[in-house]
Amino acid sequence: MLISVENLTKVYKTYQRGSSFKETVKSLLVRKPLYVHALKGISFGIAAGELVGFLGPNGAGKSTTLKILTGILYPSSGAVDVMGYTPWRDRKKYVAKIGAVFGQKSQLLWDIPPIDAFYLNKAIYAIPDRVFKRTMENMVELLDLKDVIRKPTRQLSLGERMKCEFIMAMLHQPEIVFLDEPTIGLDVIAKDKIREFILEMNKKGVTFILTTHDLSDIEHLARRVIVVNHGEIVFDDSIATLRRHWGEKKIIAVSTVHPLPDLTLPGITVTKRISDYQAELELDLAVYELNKFIALVNKASTIRDLSVQEPQIEEAIKVLYKK
Amino acid sequence: MRNNIRIYLVGAKTALASRMAYRADFFMSMLIMLLVEMAAPLITIMIYQNGATFPGWTMYEALLIQGVFLLGKGIAAPFFFGIVWNTIERVQNGTFDLLMIKPKSVLFMAIVTGFDAEDLGKLIGGTTLFTLALSRLPMPGLGEWLQFLLLFLLTLAVLFGYGLILAGLGIVWIGNFRVYQIFESITNFGLYPAAIFSKPLQTVITLVIPVAILGSVPATVLLGRPSAGTIGAVGVGLLFLLFSLGFWRWMLKKYTSVGG
Amino acid sequence: MGKRVTVGQKIGQWMRVLKATAFSTYKEWVAYRSQMAVTIFVGPVFFLTQIFIWRAVYAARTTLNGLTLEQMLTYYGIVAVIGYLTFDSADWDLQWLIRNGSFLTYMLRPVSYCFLAFAQKIGHRLLALWVELIPVYLLFIYLFKIDLVPAQPGWAILSLGLSFILVYLTNYCIGITAFWFTKTEGLRRAFLTLRDLSAGMLIPLTFFPKGMQKVLFYLPFQFITYVPTRVFIGHYELAGISLSIPQVVGLQFAATLVMFAVAQLLWYFGIKRFTGVGA
Repeated sequence: MLISVENLTKVYKTYQRGSSFKETVKSLLVRKPLYVHALKGISFGIAAGELVGFLGPNGAGKSTTLKILTGILYPSSGAVDVMGYTPWRDRKKYVAKIGAVFGQKSQLLWDIPPIDAFYLNKAIYAIPDRVFKRTMENMVELLDLKDVIRKPTRQLSLGERMKCEFIMAMLHQPEIVFLDEPTIGLDVIAKDKIREFILEMNKKGVTFILTTHDLSDIEHLARRVIVVNHGEIVFDDSIATLRRHWGEKKIIAVSTVHPLPDLTLPGITVTKRISDYQAELELDLAVYELNKFIALVNKASTIRDLSVQEPQIEEAIKVLYKK
Repeated sequence: MRNNIRIYLVGAKTALASRMAYRADFFMSMLIMLLVEMAAPLITIMIYQNGATFPGWTMYEALLIQGVFLLGKGIAAPFFFGIVWNTIERVQNGTFDLLMIKPKSVLFMAIVTGFDAEDLGKLIGGTTLFTLALSRLPMPGLGEWLQFLLLFLLTLAVLFGYGLILAGLGIVWIGNFRVYQIFESITNFGLYPAAIFSKPLQTVITLVIPVAILGSVPATVLLGRPSAGTIGAVGVGLLFLLFSLGFWRWMLKKYTSVGG
Repeated sequence: MGKRVTVGQKIGQWMRVLKATAFSTYKEWVAYRSQMAVTIFVGPVFFLTQIFIWRAVYAARTTLNGLTLEQMLTYYGIVAVIGYLTFDSADWDLQWLIRNGSFLTYMLRPVSYCFLAFAQKIGHRLLALWVELIPVYLLFIYLFKIDLVPAQPGWAILSLGLSFILVYLTNYCIGITAFWFTKTEGLRRAFLTLRDLSAGMLIPLTFFPKGMQKVLFYLPFQFITYVPTRVFIGHYELAGISLSIPQVVGLQFAATLVMFAVAQLLWYFGIKRFTGVGA
């Protein structure tokens, strides 16, 4: 295992403070401590070359996990081993081998071109000239950036800036790259390009760990999903399994020549009855097989049109978040 | 070490380039940095122009103390005192984390990314005042210069210590740029001959909080009449530096346990 | 034909906006009160230096420039109090809004920005009243034994009120320059430094060379700090000119009107540029 995490917990201590005059004066004397259990003992392992997505609602413990894995935060208890290092203990040596992109924290410098920021990283990571040049040119090509890296950052579009963030984070050729909401606020084309880039680099052997709220990131990128909620792992498996987690269901839209039959049957949930001739419904295949359903409707009402769709991944996620 | 110097230079170059993006504003800011620091010398000159004095001190002697003080600040401000605003700003907007994912010490990264180009104006101001005052005074001998240089090194070390404490405060006291005012109010005493203060206050600013070391102590050596308690001030200065390093590490530890 | 609104109704409406804005600013800043409270330490410490400097200077004399040691310290005490009372960040706020584009949201409101920002200042200073001003005022009186009771309270309050408005108007004008310049930090600080110097914040204006005093007399800046301080003490003098308190407050009032006109004019051209060039 490249990364192994065992029984990781994190408890924050904060203080309550009020805003009224009375509470203000009171808070000077006695402060009420408040304990927040951000992580309640999570364990997982990630192998080299994997592309893993972390999902979870706000405050679930995703970013705490990411901060611990990048050596920014130390846990309350538990063990982490990444490439033989304990991130928060061997921080300096460890972070030389990882990269990180934070969607909302820019490493670029606003008033000068990205390439100047790259040079700063070149010095910090002591990257040899030739390696620097080759790596940069390679990534500039992959990301379709060309002259963009020589324009002041403030003149770049959000998508161009995010692409430059990736270069910034990967110039020193890290083995593992952590991505925190890397596509936030981007347009579809920029998203696609960045996803393509991630997949390409992953093919070359870079391990990616990403957190996101954008489910299409997960669908396009991750083969494996870890869902965190209330500081615990509630799901850790492939995307296909995640879909099935919701049940083996299909979304069906049907319209008919004659009025629809009574559909209040076990395994069928009508979600929208548009008219007597048209409806949308969920079909639980474990209870009611698809061919039987089609036969039933066709016999009773003669099908004019019918579409069968995979359930949206959102539905599966909602179920997990509500737990 | 050589590698670190290279990183620092690249950092300084980048900061300068950033600031030069708005050239006119940069030069204006630099000029202002110079002018703002001249408040105390201006008051001093006006006091003497109006026929009054700090008893026992000529105007240029008093200005030399302020020259030393401002020279120290002039070196500190652009080259390393930027850790203060850099830390406060980064902790506030969350980019302090970015310093922690670099394979260098957080303090070093805070210095590198905190280079403050416009504060070079303070350096120009300090150098000018120092040279101007010195040119109107008898030239110190070699021995005095040597003693002065040693003490002035300590001045810089103490200023670094203040920077560490303020930056450390910035980690726990989110977004509070007023820590600068705390620093300025305390060190303000260092702008004047220590002898004008009451005895207890003199002891406090020489042997408890290292303030006299920022101006009075090195300047009086250069004037050939060392202040009382110079040796003690050196000891206090060194202890202060140790304490501030410890304080910074302690605050950093707090950050890594809470994560900002 | 629109509905006719009486002057009374209009003023009532304005007062409601003022009250609501001031109150929400107050609440917003309560969270930062510990930062504001830094003043309770910083103010007296700075003042302590003043005490020692001037004690040393007065060691060999009883008056300097017509001021006794007590009067000199009173001068600095009042200057500090005026600072806490009249401070605002109207310049910084407006520049920030213009630069990041959120100024547009103010353009969409039916109340002028000038008025809203002034209401914000009132809210902010109301908080400062009990966090900064009153504690430091009490420390000055009881710890440093400075006489901080105005000679003629009525005139002093009037003069302080005008200073409150003047500081706002000058800061507001500096903020407006952001309509023309992308980065105005340097300009802003330059102006503020010169203003504070010409307002007598660092040293009483009578310490300046005679020629400069004449110039300072005709500049509007003396009305910000120097004049209210002198009104507080009950005796005005600059560039060899002595004026009675009602006279000088009258002049201060005129200066405030002029400043208001300047601000309106600058605003008119600024907005023209803003809407003409686009955000």
